Amino acid sequence: MVWKIILFLLMSFVIIAGITFPIVPQPSHWYEFPNIPGLEEKAKIIFFHVPTAWLSVIAFLMAMIYGVRYLRKKNLDDDSKSAASLQLGMVFCILATVTGSIWAKFTWGAFWHWDPRETSIFILLLIYGSLFALRSAIENEDKRARLSAVYSIIAFLTVPFFIFIMPRIMTGLHPGSSNDDTSGPVVDFKMNANMQLVFYISLFTFTILYWWMWKIRYKAIIIQENLFKK
Amino acid sequence: MEGGFFGFLEHNSIYIVMFIVLVVWLGIFIFLWNTDKRLKSIESELKEKK
Repeated sequence: MVWKIILFLLMSFVIIAGITFPIVPQPSHWYEFPNIPGLEEKAKIIFFHVPTAWLSVIAFLMAMIYGVRYLRKKNLDDDSKSAASLQLGMVFCILATVTGSIWAKFTWGAFWHWDPRETSIFILLLIYGSLFALRSAIENEDKRARLSAVYSIIAFLTVPFFIFIMPRIMTGLHPGSSNDDTSGPVVDFKMNANMQLVFYISLFTFTILYWWMWKIRYKAIIIQENLFKK
Repeated sequence: MEGGFFGFLEHNSIYIVMFIVLVVWLGIFIFLWNTDKRLKSIESELKEKK
C-alpha cells in the first residue's frame, strides 16, 4: 500500500523534473541540468527512454530466472511468471525502440539508420518475438513450459552482448558508441549530480513499476489457467 | 489570479505537456491499482471455493 503511493510520487517527480527542469550551459541552481553537447534539450529523453531499455533487460533476466526455476521444480506457476515477464520485456523493448526512433528522427534526421544500437535491439525483438511464436505453437503445457524455459535461458545469454557490449565496441551514431567523443559516456561524465539523481530515481521508479505490472500479469495468467483447467 | 496562471501556461507551454503527462500517469496508476484489487478479490474467492 505505502510502496504504491511512493511509486506514484516518485514517478510524478520524475515526470515534473524530466520535462520542466531547464537545460542551461552553466547550472547554478539545484533544478538546472547541464547542456550535453550533441544532445542539448533532447537529452531529457534519458529519463524515459533509458528506463524502458533497462526494464526490458530486467524483464528478460526475470524470465530466465523463472525458466531455471521451472526446470528445477516443474511448477507451472514459475512458467506463468516467466511468460508474464517475457510479455513485459517485449512491451518495454518495443517502447525503447519506438522512443529511440522518434528521438533519432530529430537528432540524426531519420527514424532508422541500422546503427549498432538499433540493429542490436531489432535482433533482440526477433529473438524474443520468435519465443512467443514457439509458445503459441505448442498445446501441451508441460512441453511448452520446458521449451520456453530453455529458450529464455539461451536467449538471455545474448542480451548482455546486444545491449551492453556490441553497441559500445562498434562505431555508431548512438551516444556511448566507441567513436562518440561528444556526448558519451553520458551518465558518468556529462551529467551533473542533480541530473544523475533524477536519472537513478527514474531507473528505480520504473523498476518498481515493472515489478507491480509483472505481479498483476502473472497472477492474471495463473488465475486464467486455473479456470481453464476447471 | 486565475488569468495570471493561464497566462503563465500560455507562455510556458512545456508545463501544459507536464500536466498532460501527469494526468496520463494518474490514469495508468488508477488502472493498475484497480486491476490489482480485483485480482486479489478473485484470488481470495477462488481460495474460499477450494
